[in-house]
Amino acid sequence: MSEAAIVGLLVATVQFATLVYLAGLGELIAERSGVLNLGVEGMMAMGAVSGFMMALATGRPWIGFAFAALVGMAVAGVHAVVSVVMGAGQVVSGLAITIGGLGFAAFIGQDAVRQRADAVFTDLGIAGLADIRWVGPILFNQPPVVYLAGFLGIAAWFVLNRTRLGLALRAVGESASTTDSVGHSVTLLRSGAVLVGGALAGAAGAFLSLYMAAGWTEGLIAGRGWIAVALVIFGAWRPGRLAAGSLLFGFTLALQPRVQTFELSIFGLEVNRISPALLGILPFLLTVVVLIGISFRARHRPSPAPAALTLPYRREER
Amino acid sequence: MTDPNAAPEPTHAPLHTVSRGRARWHRGLGRPVLQRRADVVPAAQAVAFGIGIAVALIAGALLLLAAGNDPAQVYGRMIDSSLGGINSISRTLLRATPLALAGLAVAVAGSMGLWNIGAEGQMMAGATVAAGFAMSAGDLPGPLLILLMLIAGAVGGVVLMVGPALARAYLGVSEIITTLMLVEVSIRIVEWLETGPWKDPESQGFALIEPLPDQASLPGLFGRAHIGALFAVALLVAFWLAVSRTAWGYELRMAGSSPATARYAGISLQRKVLAALLLSGGLAGLAGAIELTGTATRLDPGLSNGYGFAGIIVAALALMRPSGVAAVAFVFGAVQVGGQSIQTLGVTSSIATILQAMILIGALVAAVLLNYRIRWVRPVGHEPETTEPRAQPTSSGTSHPGISPNPGASDV
Repeated sequence: MSEAAIVGLLVATVQFATLVYLAGLGELIAERSGVLNLGVEGMMAMGAVSGFMMALATGRPWIGFAFAALVGMAVAGVHAVVSVVMGAGQVVSGLAITIGGLGFAAFIGQDAVRQRADAVFTDLGIAGLADIRWVGPILFNQPPVVYLAGFLGIAAWFVLNRTRLGLALRAVGESASTTDSVGHSVTLLRSGAVLVGGALAGAAGAFLSLYMAAGWTEGLIAGRGWIAVALVIFGAWRPGRLAAGSLLFGFTLALQPRVQTFELSIFGLEVNRISPALLGILPFLLTVVVLIGISFRARHRPSPAPAALTLPYRREER
Repeated sequence: MTDPNAAPEPTHAPLHTVSRGRARWHRGLGRPVLQRRADVVPAAQAVAFGIGIAVALIAGALLLLAAGNDPAQVYGRMIDSSLGGINSISRTLLRATPLALAGLAVAVAGSMGLWNIGAEGQMMAGATVAAGFAMSAGDLPGPLLILLMLIAGAVGGVVLMVGPALARAYLGVSEIITTLMLVEVSIRIVEWLETGPWKDPESQGFALIEPLPDQASLPGLFGRAHIGALFAVALLVAFWLAVSRTAWGYELRMAGSSPATARYAGISLQRKVLAALLLSGGLAGLAGAIELTGTATRLDPGLSNGYGFAGIIVAALALMRPSGVAAVAFVFGAVQVGGQSIQTLGVTSSIATILQAMILIGALVAAVLLNYRIRWVRPVGHEPETTEPRAQPTSSGTSHPGISPNPGASDV
């Protein structure tokens, strides 16, 4: 295996990790407030297509990126109204967001299919550092969204764990009635969390269409939204572990298209004979294993899962 | 708080600025609350479904207008292609069959408040095991081969569900996530089979699985429909009998709606969870095998075609009831056939996907508004004395799975 191949793999790992981290962070914030949103896939698709078209129209990727976040937020707003304000089932509402979002994205993106992207993000190339062998291209010559995702992760950790807003948000995910009784609005907190989650999912979609794929096609998201849902559990609902998990999942995503070109043997196993499809299973199987592991451990100490996850709240019915 | 109508005002002072502004607003104006109606609107869910369809059609028409299409022409073509004549109806049945079977699978788990989000994956697993069986035992006569393939399909669905069912029953692991994760797993296994072990040697460069033997195809019913539609109806009737007319079904519903009561009555919750989930997985696997033998000439990763996910919507709209599953599956089948047909008008079939999602969203909101009234609650001191008793939640656990909390979901 050449140095270029390894560097290429790791560069792509960081980018795929960014993609699932952005979407996963949004899902994490929503879930910490007690709302499961299975609509990530649909919100990402809407963000991808709207961000791409806006960037095409304005010639500026950042405007497309910001617009995608707004669109993701708007789509998440449907979930917030149906499942938080109305208190209908989160699972079904989220699935409707995914199915409807994918259909809607395909509908409005008909003309954008196969259009070449003129306005896409370019690699930042931090002066002096980007030329360092190995580390330079992997860490210091990435598109700006990669660094933004890192910043957002730290910001999310800070807000969740070091502010009163974060405390209220976590509390509402554990017990809505308790949080209500101390004067916080459950509806406001949960809707806000869902909207922020939607913005991040939309932004993740735009990162896909404005950099990684540099274009829009139906089926562009290809299950990455489900990976984000899995990632939240794998990361035990914590921004830091989410980052570690996203690097692992990002590695498997980056490896899939490359694995059959690698001439490498590990313990007698020819790496290039590993099926990309089977590699793609890994994040999902690992998540199931982690989920079962958490429940085993939960006998001795509290589960990291928000206790009120998927439970709607109506003050009058508690 | 024993009387939920009393004192909506928080008893403690708000802790910080996040809620202070809102609290002041409350004090002046009061706030809207959703209160469950004491009087039950007759056939509320059917009305909600109708409203959902109306909302979806209106929203779809606006979309079509915005895209420069004539909604009347597009809807006319959709209705004509799916319902206008015996051939059209057979095409609708062709798609309604897997929707109804997947919806049934979800409804079986839903009857006790469990969510099988992975019907899509179990359909794939069922089709895979059925195809594998047919490839290795292709010499059998048609009817016997098909029967064994259907059994193999059910086994495949059960196999994919064993892990989530055991984890849910004995460890309390949420079935929502585990079943969902296994969808991607089973689809990717078929992708792997396609490129490797089961690759058709005659497919040259293309990734195709070996074709099924000729006799492995379900007999036709009429037009494009196959006898899988009859299986679906028979299974829906059997499900209705089992759940609403047997002690087993009663215990199943009680275990879902009131676990404490069920345990007190000596019902093993764990065995009920296992039974409901495994049965659900088996039915979804059977749906996959029926789809394989009814419509396909070979296994491919696109076989389940979103039917499993749509089945969740079907079951939710039907409130987990078999008659509702049949009706909703038929409507969704018609929408999907209509979506295919309008491509000749230059309109994308994604309209059908949008309509299905809009029907669900519209019906979810309509159901809440039909079952609840919006009351404007004045702050304490301004509120008129109310003697209206609080409406009890309906006693049957199956009545509102779509809008009631999932009893087993808190431990994801």
